[in-house]
Amino acid sequence: MRFFTATVLGLLAPSLAAATNLTIPSRLALPSDFKPAQVFKNTNLVRNTNLEKGYVRETVNVVVENVDTQPQSDYYIPFPADVFERVGGFEVRDKKATGKGRFEVDVTEAVSSSDNQYFVVHFPEPLAPKSQITLGISYSVLSSLSPLPATIGQNDKQYLTHSFSAYIHSAYQTVTQKTKLKFPSADVPDYTTTEGLKSGADPERKGATYTYGPYDTTKVAPGTEYPITVRYEFTNPVITASLLERDLEVSHWGGNLATEERYWLRNNASQLTNQFSRVEWTFSSYQKAPTSAVRELTYPLLPGSVDAYFIDDIGNVSTSRYRPGTAKTGANLELKPRFPIFGGWNYSFKVGWNNDLSAFLRKATGTDSYVLKVPFLQGPKMAEGVQYERVIVRVVLPEGAHNVRYELVEGAASNGLPGANQIQASLSSFKTYMDTLGRTTLTLEVDSLTDEARDAQLVVTYEHTLVDALRKPLTIFAGLLTVFVGIWFIGNLDVSIKKR
Amino acid sequence: MAQSSSLDVLLKGSSGQSTRGLLRIIILITIAAAAVASRLFSVIRFESIIHEFDPWFNFRATKYLVQNGFYSFWDWFDDRTWHPLGRVTGGTLYPGLMVTSGVIYHILRFLTIPVDIRNVCVLLAPGFSGLTALAMYLLTCEMSKSPSAGLLAAAFMGIVPGYISRSVAGSYDNEAIAIFLLVFTFFLWIKAVKNGSIMWGALTALFYGYMVSAWGGYVFITNLIPLHVFVLLCMGRYSSRVYISYTTWYALGTLGSMQIPFVGFLPIRNSDHMSALGVFGLIQLGLLRTLSAGVIAPWSGRFYSLWDTGYAKIHIPIIASVSEHQPTAWPAFFFDLNFLIWLFPAGVFMCFQNLKDEHVFVIIYAVLASYFAGVMVRLMLTLTPIVCVAAALAVSSILDSFLVLTKPNPESQTKTTSEDSKSLRSTQKPVVGIYSYFSKAVVTGSITVYLLLFVAHCTWVTSNAYSSPSVVLASRMPDGSQFIIDDYREAYYWLRQNTPDNAKIMSWWDYGYQIGGMADRPTLVDNNTWNNTHIATVGKAMSSREEVSYPILRQHDVDYVLVVFGGLLGYSGDDLNKFLWMVRIAEGIWPDEVKERDFFTARGEYRVDDEATPTMRNSLMYKMSYYNFQSLFPAGQAVDRVRGTRAPTESPQLNTLEEAFTSENWIIRIYKVKDLDNFDRDHNNAVAFDKGLKRKRASKKKGPRVLRTE
Repeated sequence: MRFFTATVLGLLAPSLAAATNLTIPSRLALPSDFKPAQVFKNTNLVRNTNLEKGYVRETVNVVVENVDTQPQSDYYIPFPADVFERVGGFEVRDKKATGKGRFEVDVTEAVSSSDNQYFVVHFPEPLAPKSQITLGISYSVLSSLSPLPATIGQNDKQYLTHSFSAYIHSAYQTVTQKTKLKFPSADVPDYTTTEGLKSGADPERKGATYTYGPYDTTKVAPGTEYPITVRYEFTNPVITASLLERDLEVSHWGGNLATEERYWLRNNASQLTNQFSRVEWTFSSYQKAPTSAVRELTYPLLPGSVDAYFIDDIGNVSTSRYRPGTAKTGANLELKPRFPIFGGWNYSFKVGWNNDLSAFLRKATGTDSYVLKVPFLQGPKMAEGVQYERVIVRVVLPEGAHNVRYELVEGAASNGLPGANQIQASLSSFKTYMDTLGRTTLTLEVDSLTDEARDAQLVVTYEHTLVDALRKPLTIFAGLLTVFVGIWFIGNLDVSIKKR
Repeated sequence: MAQSSSLDVLLKGSSGQSTRGLLRIIILITIAAAAVASRLFSVIRFESIIHEFDPWFNFRATKYLVQNGFYSFWDWFDDRTWHPLGRVTGGTLYPGLMVTSGVIYHILRFLTIPVDIRNVCVLLAPGFSGLTALAMYLLTCEMSKSPSAGLLAAAFMGIVPGYISRSVAGSYDNEAIAIFLLVFTFFLWIKAVKNGSIMWGALTALFYGYMVSAWGGYVFITNLIPLHVFVLLCMGRYSSRVYISYTTWYALGTLGSMQIPFVGFLPIRNSDHMSALGVFGLIQLGLLRTLSAGVIAPWSGRFYSLWDTGYAKIHIPIIASVSEHQPTAWPAFFFDLNFLIWLFPAGVFMCFQNLKDEHVFVIIYAVLASYFAGVMVRLMLTLTPIVCVAAALAVSSILDSFLVLTKPNPESQTKTTSEDSKSLRSTQKPVVGIYSYFSKAVVTGSITVYLLLFVAHCTWVTSNAYSSPSVVLASRMPDGSQFIIDDYREAYYWLRQNTPDNAKIMSWWDYGYQIGGMADRPTLVDNNTWNNTHIATVGKAMSSREEVSYPILRQHDVDYVLVVFGGLLGYSGDDLNKFLWMVRIAEGIWPDEVKERDFFTARGEYRVDDEATPTMRNSLMYKMSYYNFQSLFPAGQAVDRVRGTRAPTESPQLNTLEEAFTSENWIIRIYKVKDLDNFDRDHNNAVAFDKGLKRKRASKKKGPRVLRTE
């Protein structure tokens, strides 16, 4: 069918216009002996580390002062190269004016002379000498928590360790700094106590919050390390998706937005010392005891979601349950994997559902342009959090859509996503359901995300004309006509041997 | 008036050909749709899933075909089954089914319809059953002048349980397409015999070739057509029509069938095929079989068991252990065919009345298929088409006689019949006919009731008996909602996700295909059962003591052992119930080491409770089934719900295996084979040492013993 319609439709097909804002992440190349110029001073730094989830969420509030004679606008934030690749959702804002949105951030390539890689924060306007600015830096670090002991019994408590430096890893001199740790519970059996860094007990303990510092670090050179390790109870799974593929398919004819997500899950919790025992598991799940295994995933869906399914490579997972909910509360998909996922175990699956398109799509009056607003990421909502090593979001637009642009909605607070220049975007064409040209597909790829990005919204604008909409009915009509004409023609051929 | 005139078009015979033709097409399409729809119960009740055992292999092979192309499929050597032997899969299967769904898949993909290969496979059988109904119409129309016979036969074929049992959505087996090919080949053959045309003969050969590529049951055609010709010859009905059609079919068909690697030279070597060759010779020169017996391979074992039902039980336990190779129970005929079974003789009798060539065919087919269906349950399938033909002939002739409203006119026929006064008295009466509306109404009414009952019965049987995937078990919750027991997939998916890609799984051969398909792991034995010794090895490992089994497991690189245990849930198809077959098959190879008698008590009972024999208790299968089972129950109250007996109060001790996974309802239990001991002890000692250590610790807590001084 493709052959004979291609010529006809070639005339009708508009060219896929290149007027898009698609980016490929670029990395700043630095000279091999690069060191950030000492043009700033951190007068006060407070680091808040949240360990309540299966990943580390850090918020650093720092007062930065320009100590140079020239106005400066590039602030460098270093990370060790091995940690750097696991830093996700990096965002910097002016703490005094969070509503103004995030600062532009660039990423550097690895520098051979140092172990560091940098985020380069560009201030919107250069900071004058002697003046100060308060930065709010937030990010999460994935897969940095390791269970200790690495193997436990099936009903044992699980403990995670978190290691960091008492002196924050900064490119600039810091005057005072402190670190606040928030643990999931007060059960912290092991933690480093520092000596000689400050007067009085260090850390200060208050319930589940431990505070290291404040330290006077005027004389400490930037980059000095003082290792600290804490070990705390976390009898929850450490849910990690090594890959999430999320497809959103827009159908104008059907008035439908179809979503399908494919997960490759892994539990990074402690592994089992012995093999799995069903007897113990039966008794412990009867008592609803806390466990480091994934027992169930709750997956909130938007109101009006229908036809939800939960399948894996070998068919429907019959243990799942879908609660449609009301128009206000939204639906809930309770995903119960076929088996409990213990530390080191894998589970890959697919979920999908349909939504009415009208709630997501607006047409600009008088023009052919459309605006689509969909969640960038949905995913299960778990108290212990979910980390995504790689997320690929595909938005399949109708056939013939062109002038595709996208934008991620920014709010007053962090949306859990990195800056736009860290998201790899591309356009491609995807052929399905008797397409001739293929559907325009916007693909967005992000590394290292956490479930904080659940509420991020993606806005896609595109143009789609009436001719585009009529292409498929005409194609099918032309195809069937050709078949009938062909049959009629063959039927009229006289191939008999004898003369009539 | 307009209404009555439009009704007249339908009721009166004077309506135009095109109106009737259109009506017939609409009816046929409706029948085909009903045939497809009634097979979708399983998809609606459960899901779009491949059923049972063999379909999982076919599905896996189809996936391989779709992913790797036809030529690598043809040359496929599968090293993930029959470890460490492997299987020349490309040369030992009937590729027709996989190629058919592969072609359908590629056509749909060419039209850019994003269909999953699984859905193609699941819906192939219903789709082809719609075609079978059409083929049935064509075949029956060759037998009877009345078109209603054809339509009735199509309707019967569409919904008869005997055929549905093998063609519900998801039962992706060779029979799915083979029955269509069988019926259609017979239709073409009848056409060829009637017309004496090379074209029809060649078409018969073509579809015969397709049939050969699809199902081992092609031997039925190979023998039936020659038999038909032979009977025609004996009846003195030799004609050029028969000669042309038979020689065309035999020459082309045999060449075609030899293109399938699995069949190869069988058509000229195997005695199953000799009747065709013999008749070919006979029809040429009156030659009888003169080929030397040495060249011809003896009849295959499965074929022997057709003639002598006791043969398999005595000689080949592996064939006898398959439930579908058991002789058919009498109620099964009624269950699968309902009222067709008692109309069947009537239809066959009517074929005797006007005994043309094609009616001879029906009679031979009926006789042969009835015998085979009585021998083996699965051959009910070959009987079903001919029952539908015969029953349709009978019903249509009843309806054709009783549904006519006009009375016969006595005067017009009186003279002609009265002249022949020497004939029977009953025929001396002026005319044979039905005069009263009452008798017409009664007969038509009762037939209608039977037809309705038939539909109800078929629907009931289909939805209750034949629509379970058997991979997924369904039960009812107290509130009537469906509760699904999904242990098989739970365990298989666990294997798939959490074991190394090449971990070897040992299980009884029933689960080989499923493990290959769902868990995607190499297996030792599977449902192909081509190597009896290998199966016996597994049987020996299962039925021997750990000291004997462990070396066998190590020699075969086994990483995990999988057993099916229904004791918690009362699932009767578990391995302990199949255990005697394992013992028997192992005994067939190692009669000195495995003895069936040792598994029975002195009184000859098969016991698994406290009175189980020591051999039974020490067998690996027994230990794996009951390992740790008692800990689910309060002390001393462990019950095996399948066998209705007490389970052992103390857990059997496993030294060389450790429990790796047990599914939610304990149906599947997976054990990991321990590696060799680090200190080079045997596992028995190692476990004893570990236990001893614990006892030592316990005694330490009591504190040091103090010598009494008083």
